Amino acid sequence: MIFNSIAFIVFFVIAVLLYYCLPLRFRWLWIVATGIFFYCYANPTFIIVPLFIAMVTYFAGLKMQNAATEKKANLIYLLAIITNIGLLVFFKYTNFFTNTFVDVFNIFSSSDKKISNSFLLNIAAPLGISYITFQAIGYLIEVKKGNHQAEKHLGHFTAYLLFFPKIIAGPVERAHNFLPQLKTIKPLQYDDISIGCKQFIWGLFKKLVVADRLSIYVDAVYNNYEHHSGITLFVTAVFYLFQMYADFSGYTDMALGLARIMGFNLTQNFNRPLFAKSVTEFWRKWHISLSTWFADYFYNPIAINKRDWGKWSIVYASFTTFIVLGFWHGANWTFIVFGAMQGFLLTIEYFSRKFRKDLRKKIPAWLNNISGILFTCGYFALSLVFFRANSVTDALQIIKRIVHFNGPFFTDNLSSLLFCILGIGFIYLVEFKKEFYNNLFTISNNKNWLVRNAYHCLLLMIILLAGVFDGGQFIYFQF
Amino acid sequence: MKKLKAIWNKKNTGALIVKFLAFTILVAMVDFVTGNILSHFYSKQISGWEYPTKYSIEDTREDLLIFGASRAQEQYKPICFEDSLKISAYNVGKTGMSIPYHYGVFKCILKRYTPKIIILDFENQQFLKADKNYETLSCLLPFYKGHPELQPLLQLRGPFEKYKMISAAYPYNSLLFKIIIGNTRLKNNESLNDKGYIALTRQMDQPLHTVNFSTPYEIDSIKVTMYKYMIEECKKRNIKLFVVCSPYYINQVGTDVSMEMGKSIAAKNNIDFIDYSKKELFLKSPQLFDDTVHVNTIGATTFSNMLASDIKKRLAIK
Repeated sequence: MIFNSIAFIVFFVIAVLLYYCLPLRFRWLWIVATGIFFYCYANPTFIIVPLFIAMVTYFAGLKMQNAATEKKANLIYLLAIITNIGLLVFFKYTNFFTNTFVDVFNIFSSSDKKISNSFLLNIAAPLGISYITFQAIGYLIEVKKGNHQAEKHLGHFTAYLLFFPKIIAGPVERAHNFLPQLKTIKPLQYDDISIGCKQFIWGLFKKLVVADRLSIYVDAVYNNYEHHSGITLFVTAVFYLFQMYADFSGYTDMALGLARIMGFNLTQNFNRPLFAKSVTEFWRKWHISLSTWFADYFYNPIAINKRDWGKWSIVYASFTTFIVLGFWHGANWTFIVFGAMQGFLLTIEYFSRKFRKDLRKKIPAWLNNISGILFTCGYFALSLVFFRANSVTDALQIIKRIVHFNGPFFTDNLSSLLFCILGIGFIYLVEFKKEFYNNLFTISNNKNWLVRNAYHCLLLMIILLAGVFDGGQFIYFQF
Repeated sequence: MKKLKAIWNKKNTGALIVKFLAFTILVAMVDFVTGNILSHFYSKQISGWEYPTKYSIEDTREDLLIFGASRAQEQYKPICFEDSLKISAYNVGKTGMSIPYHYGVFKCILKRYTPKIIILDFENQQFLKADKNYETLSCLLPFYKGHPELQPLLQLRGPFEKYKMISAAYPYNSLLFKIIIGNTRLKNNESLNDKGYIALTRQMDQPLHTVNFSTPYEIDSIKVTMYKYMIEECKKRNIKLFVVCSPYYINQVGTDVSMEMGKSIAAKNNIDFIDYSKKELFLKSPQLFDDTVHVNTIGATTFSNMLASDIKKRLAIK
């Protein structure tokens, strides 16, 4: 059930009305019930794994905290972490590892002993398995470190993991941010509903008008890239950058808006990454909840553990973190290359800090900003070619054609292309204003009721007239 | 009860309901005005991408009509049929469409008048079950309110389509630029001059490929019903219907399930099914094709003339 479907809107309205009718002590129950329904709507069997993760993590947290000895606590901690990671690996990576094993085996075996990959598992990963396991692991680490008390209420903990607005696309919410909100009484507030609806409408605009519109062009070109020119593939690579951003940030905005309507403040996941002036800054602005999760529980422990390596500990930590982060996106070598490309440029930026600082003093600030933004977006768009391609070979072929930069430009549907360009322009304009002139004026939060509501009414009209209502699927759905 | 009162704070809830209602009224007003402006300009189109659809549904008066997808719109030249059969002709085919679209247009036309001859282009996998065949019906949404006969068809797009149509602007989704262009002469559509036909100009130079069409697939029973309805309605109204499979530049192996069904249904109803898909002339002439499934403008002239004389002969016999 994706957020931009009518079935979901009906479900959500009922869910919210009943949620606010319930007294506080029963609200967690309603969150769990709606979460279970959300899973079961996709596939009734999907609920088994999240409930199992919730139980294991909940009891592990309590047992760990109350363990008589440190050794026992460590053992429980390890078992719980292994269970969570094991489930994630099983559902997402079994076929990848099996395929890789078969390929390697076949390289070194004679033709009569080659094996086929016909025994690959035909299993669908439960919705948002990555997000649930990451939240569970983060909770376990914090309890283990003693930073947070283990949650005593099984229902509250299950509600934390099964809160439906964040099931599909996150954010990777920290327990210490969510659980206190669940325990605080909050009556229906006009601001929550108003801010939540506005954020939902903006997310809907990004998703339907920009992302899904761009996906028509991007899919048409990338699915037959061998028939397209370098110029077309270049434009498609740029379009895909905007598609990814509008798709993911749009869906997150919708999730945050829905949560806010229910009175919850979830972590902001994007902070205008397309205006980042370096890849390092980009990853502080893009998928923030995931990158901070990786920074806290992966990068920092590695960098600290290898601190006697000096600067190389940073290089090692960056590469390892981003390769794993790339692999988290999917079981394919393309995602690993995508992650490695991020690690590579972060390393370059780390070693060139002093040089870049000196350079900044010599050139005007505006030139530095523009060149930084263009380079960062360009590099990320290039890495997304690997992210989108079916194989590394395909990605290299696409890049090879882009480098030649020739041939006719593909304009199968001029009307759709115009919608793409206007959609991108609108998002860029809004975000440009927020980034550089945030205090100058505001339309969406204008004091005048008519002005701010006319703006949101306009957004709804654009969605009606330019949104894609058929066949759009959220890209991050698969993760 | 006390707790419930605290949750549904009177002042909060009252303000929320009033502001929500005000916003809903504002949206409804803007939607109504936008929808009506777009409706006005949609009906005033004089050229552009959507003009042929509007013409097909509301303005055709021709005696011979050609139905089908791109293999109709880009392969049948009405002028050839006019010259040969001495009757007026128009190509109501539309690229990317399938039987549901042809059925919708057919129903709208029959409500206005009865043409003498109909040619229905039939292609491989015509009855294949594919959701996108109903999604593409969005181009008929502007006619939803004015043509009640289209409503059951358009509701096949999804269970909520009926409710979406409450909006006056929704039927014009994705059509804004097409309507703007349609009200100018920026795109002087070649199909205006060629009576719905759109010429393809490339020439193929590839060798003949072999494709196996015997692979089974799921059949859409609704499409089959629509096909049968078109046949029965033509018989009832005494319209001469010719179901035609136009040329392919493909060496076909095996029999396509839809093709087999299409032929059998036509035979049962004594309707002529004319198959050009394996005509040697076309299989040996890549220069007559734009790609493997569409003839170019030279091929279209050759094919249309051949078909016109074939139809002439069959009509004479009958």
